[in-house]
Amino acid sequence: MSISVKPSVHLLLLLFTILCSSLTPFKAFSESDSDRVAELLNLQSRSKSGVIHLDDHSLNRFLTSGKPRSYSLLIFFDAAHLHDKHELHLKEIRSEFDLVASTFISHNKNTPSQSKLFFCDLEFKESQSSFALFAVNTLPHIRHVDPQIENPKDSARMDQSDFARLAESMAEFVESKTKLTVGPIERPPVVSKNQLGFAVVALLLSTPFLVKKLLDGDTLFLDSKVWLGLSVFVYFFSVSGAMHNIIRKMPMFLADRNDPSKFTFFYQGSGMQLGAEGFAVGFLYTIVGLLLAFVTQILVRVRNVTVQRLVMIFALFVSFWAVKKVVYLDNWKTGYGIHGFWPSSWK
Amino acid sequence: MLIAYGEESRNSNISFDPVGTGKSVNEASSSGSCAEDLEGEALLSAVRSASGNLSQDCVKTGKALYPASSLSPGRGKCSSNFSFRPSGDAVILGCDKVPSYISRSVAGSYDNEAVAIFALIFTFYLYIKTLNTGSLFYATLNALSYFYMVCSWGGYTFIINLIPMHVLLCIVTGRYSSRLYIAYAPLVVLGTLLASLVPVVGFNAVMTSEHFASFLVFIIIHVVALVYYIKGILSQKMFKVAVTLVVTVGVAVCCAVIGVLVALVASSPTKGWSGRSLSLLDPTYASKYIPIIASVSEHQPPTWPSYFMDINVLAFLVPAGIIACFLPLSDASSFVVLYIVTSVYFSGVMVRLMLVLAPAACILSGIALSEAFDVFTRSIKFQLPGLSGNSHSGAGDTSSGSATIQDNVAKADKQSSTPKSEDTLKERPSRKNRKKEKEHVEKASIKSHIEKRLLVLPLEASIISILLLILLGAFYVVHCVWAAAEAYSAPSIVLTSYSHDGLHVFDDFREAYAWLSHNTEVDDKVASWWDYGYQTTAMANRTVIVDNNTWNNTHIATVGTAMSSPEKPAWEIFNSLDVKYVLVVFGGLVGYPSDDINKFLWMVRIGGGVFPHIKEPDYLRDGQYRIDSQATSTMLNSLMYKLSYYRFVDTDGKGFDRVRRTEIGKKYFKLTHFEEVFTTHHWMVRIYKLKSPKNRVRGKSKKSKSNSKPGSTTSSKSGRRKKNPWH
Repeated sequence: MSISVKPSVHLLLLLFTILCSSLTPFKAFSESDSDRVAELLNLQSRSKSGVIHLDDHSLNRFLTSGKPRSYSLLIFFDAAHLHDKHELHLKEIRSEFDLVASTFISHNKNTPSQSKLFFCDLEFKESQSSFALFAVNTLPHIRHVDPQIENPKDSARMDQSDFARLAESMAEFVESKTKLTVGPIERPPVVSKNQLGFAVVALLLSTPFLVKKLLDGDTLFLDSKVWLGLSVFVYFFSVSGAMHNIIRKMPMFLADRNDPSKFTFFYQGSGMQLGAEGFAVGFLYTIVGLLLAFVTQILVRVRNVTVQRLVMIFALFVSFWAVKKVVYLDNWKTGYGIHGFWPSSWK
Repeated sequence: MLIAYGEESRNSNISFDPVGTGKSVNEASSSGSCAEDLEGEALLSAVRSASGNLSQDCVKTGKALYPASSLSPGRGKCSSNFSFRPSGDAVILGCDKVPSYISRSVAGSYDNEAVAIFALIFTFYLYIKTLNTGSLFYATLNALSYFYMVCSWGGYTFIINLIPMHVLLCIVTGRYSSRLYIAYAPLVVLGTLLASLVPVVGFNAVMTSEHFASFLVFIIIHVVALVYYIKGILSQKMFKVAVTLVVTVGVAVCCAVIGVLVALVASSPTKGWSGRSLSLLDPTYASKYIPIIASVSEHQPPTWPSYFMDINVLAFLVPAGIIACFLPLSDASSFVVLYIVTSVYFSGVMVRLMLVLAPAACILSGIALSEAFDVFTRSIKFQLPGLSGNSHSGAGDTSSGSATIQDNVAKADKQSSTPKSEDTLKERPSRKNRKKEKEHVEKASIKSHIEKRLLVLPLEASIISILLLILLGAFYVVHCVWAAAEAYSAPSIVLTSYSHDGLHVFDDFREAYAWLSHNTEVDDKVASWWDYGYQTTAMANRTVIVDNNTWNNTHIATVGTAMSSPEKPAWEIFNSLDVKYVLVVFGGLVGYPSDDINKFLWMVRIGGGVFPHIKEPDYLRDGQYRIDSQATSTMLNSLMYKLSYYRFVDTDGKGFDRVRRTEIGKKYFKLTHFEEVFTTHHWMVRIYKLKSPKNRVRGKSKKSKSNSKPGSTTSSKSGRRKKNPWH
């Protein structure tokens, strides 16, 4: 029974909302709940992802002063100046949040649930007092504000674990808190169908030309310099531990917690490395071999003895420095003390 | 203000990454027998002979792979002068002590990879040999050595992908020859047949995607061979007609075959690739989907110190070797380049594959070293005041000297007329040809060596360079000896630590295994994390539930689930597995970082992968595994926490964990379903016994309880004496 009643109630409510919203110009002074819902819906439709951008003022209007409320808010606390801190994953979580929002909106379009939950975001720089209002001092942070909640500090916080598994777990959180259905989350495919089709057609069209060129033998394939450059690059890329950085998603460097203008480029401890550190050492690894090859293969053909001498001195100096630096860095990073084993009678 | 706590989670706290130098604590210690030492020695000498001593002109890895050296007539004499053959010997000098290889061949850590790397290099050597000679005899040997490789290590897929890649490269760059066909086709046919004889491989040799590349290239090489054949027998015009015909038919056939292959591949869920191979192609694959692979410390991506540890100064020399291989590029040298490039990439994905990189690095740095020594010694030789006059007068001991000059000039010749030398390189099927070409070069060089300038570098700079290179080599030797002595020879079952008051020995593992073997029944089963499986089997002689064979994931997930569950469900799981004892490794007292709490992450992940009621987020506080007061209740109630920290507070009164550097969250608790039976001297291994179910069921069947209890104890006592005759 109750199930069958609910929709009709909602329908009435919606009708009421629409009526009210059409009457808004006449009731500009005291905003009712339905006004706010209408405006939120309006704001939502204007936003690309369906996430409403709030600030101190509008938050006050929709949340603190707006009572009673028929809707709940899911607020994402954002800070643009922390976006470049990859370890916070703010951007990723934000895009997942957007995904949940758009899924919810498209799934609940033209149903009463669409005015039950709104996805909002707050930016730290422009709404600091709202951050204080919610007592938010760590990011990433997502709050769910129930209609019944009086004090924003009591609102439910989405656990770290809830956005650990991205949009799906966020949706679970939302569903458990609001009893609304978010709907199946559909990620946009990496390559759209049109792009894929275009790529296939382009590939098919270019195949005969490629084959022709290949048979004629004037492609890049036959230029050994390209191969040489590629293989040295792959070598450099691998010994610099770049795969480690990709797999572990390591940042290029760490900013000092206490003094953001200082950066840590080298991390002590062999289990981990930072991006810039890897590339620096990879460069040192590679440069010695390149210089050696340059000296033995090219410099040897130079006629001018002075040039030879100068370049060799330079190469020797750089190589010596590079090896010394790597040995030093390795000892520093791993803490190993490499020593020889000499006959005991020598001591 | 805003605190970025994500950062914290990365920097500090529990380090769940016990990767050190590429040797997993788990696996290395499991193979802790030193009986195979001799075999390792034999293997080393086999590698040595393969790369240097077998016969004059062929079996040098370095030389065979580097035909440029065999082209230059002066080298042979030069080498006899120095008693130091170029490349080959430099390679041996690098290869016989490279730490990466030492790590698998020293006593205590002797592993099947030690055999496999020899087989790998030997297969490559024979492939190159066949490619250079076009001899079917070597092609057959090649297939046999491939079989040897398949028998010894799963890494054989590296061969069966690398060689097709090289063949394809040769075809694409227009280097197809009948020698290439002879080197490849028998290998695929014979090799696949032989490989499918190995039980572990079986039909995988034709069914899995790892092998498809070789079949595809097999088809391509036949098409190409056909084209070349037709081209040979037809006139130019007829050939064009034939090409259109063959191309249409060929494309149709190819499409059909590729279609079948694609359908086959697509029908399997992992696209026919095994998890390990997939994680090589897409390095982030394993960390996303296969925790059992991602959990092994050998499968972690290495950081740059790993390269310095494992190939040391060779890392500096390899780029020079790569460049030397390109000047000029031949079939063989392009193979070496391909080998180093693929292996260095793979080693970047998995630290364990450093093992495959090591020989390649040795070969290339050997080439680089011999090139460098060649240039520098030559520069010194002809510019030393006493010698230069002699050599220019062309008399006396200068046979080697003039040879070198010829060598230089020959080289210069080669460079100046690249297309010609390319041609000659391509068409070297018979020895006659080569001889002719040698003579030709020799003649030309003798003619022109007066006009041409000597290719030398300034004297003093060359002397310094040689000294520095020798210094580099000396450092390499010191490092390798150190690595072999300190890092790779230490048995990981007995741990030592140096402190200001001397050497400390932690012999807790053996203590625990000895206790197990002396105090438990022969057929009692012991549950522990899989890392200790082989050790327990071998040293305690007890059956384990999971061991280092990670072929089957479900068992491991079951144990992981039990460890992550509260006591009662854990007891039920263990009881259903007929487990009597549970063994946990705990490093909190002495600060041993690769203990079970640090591996707990993987128990939860692997367990959760099979049993969805284990949810990783339940164990995480702010994205971290914590065991301090901030820990989640699921964590504090998990069996692993309880077994690790039971009575821990008794040690120092505070319960301070020296690995996690924090006080534990829950200090006083009792165990309901387990009882502590043994804890080793440093608390590194703790053994618990499952309480018998009768104690729990109160009042249900008092009679049977009172009856059975004394009976069971006596029976177990007498049983122990009876069943365990060895102790």
